[in-house]
Amino acid sequence: MSAARAAGAGTRVVSPMLLRLAGERATGALLRDHGTLYLVDGRIVHAESPVAPGPDILLTGGGRRPRARLGDGELEICLLGALYDAAFFALHPGSRPARFRYGAVPRTTPVRPVSALDVQRETLRRRELLDSVWPYPAVDTAPVVPRPAAPGQTAGLRQRALLEAADGVRTPAGLAWALGRPAFHTLLDVRRLAAAGLVGTPPEPGPPAPAPYPLTVREPAGEPVRETRPALSAWVGDIASDPDTALLRRLRDALEAHL
Amino acid sequence: MANTEAALKEATTLIDGALGAALVDYTSGMALGTVGGGKDLDLTVAAAGNTDVVRAKVRTMEMLGIQDEIEDILITLGTQYHLIRLLRSRGANGLFLYLALDKNRANLAMARLQLRRIEADLEI
Repeated sequence: MSAARAAGAGTRVVSPMLLRLAGERATGALLRDHGTLYLVDGRIVHAESPVAPGPDILLTGGGRRPRARLGDGELEICLLGALYDAAFFALHPGSRPARFRYGAVPRTTPVRPVSALDVQRETLRRRELLDSVWPYPAVDTAPVVPRPAAPGQTAGLRQRALLEAADGVRTPAGLAWALGRPAFHTLLDVRRLAAAGLVGTPPEPGPPAPAPYPLTVREPAGEPVRETRPALSAWVGDIASDPDTALLRRLRDALEAHL
Repeated sequence: MANTEAALKEATTLIDGALGAALVDYTSGMALGTVGGGKDLDLTVAAAGNTDVVRAKVRTMEMLGIQDEIEDILITLGTQYHLIRLLRSRGANGLFLYLALDKNRANLAMARLQLRRIEADLEI
């Protein structure tokens, strides 16, 4: 994973401040809305986010041995996985400006340091992966509500465990903590399940014009979103409320002409 | 007891004809480490793409009701072998070793044996 190749891979930047600090070879903590990245000499040695379970949760949640009995390789893999997981959420766009505390060091033993460019490239890849699976970010933060499977439809082992833990209240992050899995992996599974129709997709809280009728009853903060209609994106509601019969006829005629 | 970089480096130096190797988390498609590769073989792209291969096979086995584990997957190209070895991690998140070999120089049986040894080194 050469830095040069990663730099050439794209022009998008997740955090200009992170790249600047990396260029300065800064040491300290980059505090953002959704988490903290720790840098030593401009390289990332540790990341934390309240969304992402830490290594201790990941190790015990998976039914694995305590850290003391882990092999070097397995420990490194776990710490590295947790770093990228927390960094993904820490780099999620926030509403407040990021701050940097020079000289701050993490309390935990650092892993193999990774370059800011590698973390940026991986974070962008993960965002694209989520959107390629099911481009509805609203499922990432809403309570996960399982839906009945179609006849003959099955889910994999890992997804079945996730569906069993989904009690209609837990969000994907809540499920990650409950199951001791990385939060990004849980998001990805939830998006895959949503794409398969096995969990509901809440409407997007989009800034465009509100739907002509309420699609959901939104409870006060922290409470689950109760669905009053089959979960669909808001734009579907916009169209469904105003069916253009002439357009539908033209569409039907065009389709018939092609069949 | 090797770390990931050392284990991968060992894979590419010990195994004849190795073009590159990656250790991949197959849920996210992230390469936790790569060695070798180059402009002809982008290992991070190969890592992400091959997770779909592994996922498809795991899913097919579940659909068929085969109660077994995948040890490795071999893909034979005209000039290369691509070998995917699933690691037996105890956690929920699967990992695999991905190895690209030059078909003319590689000894497939030896390569599989070496991969098994590297897995043991990693103590997964």
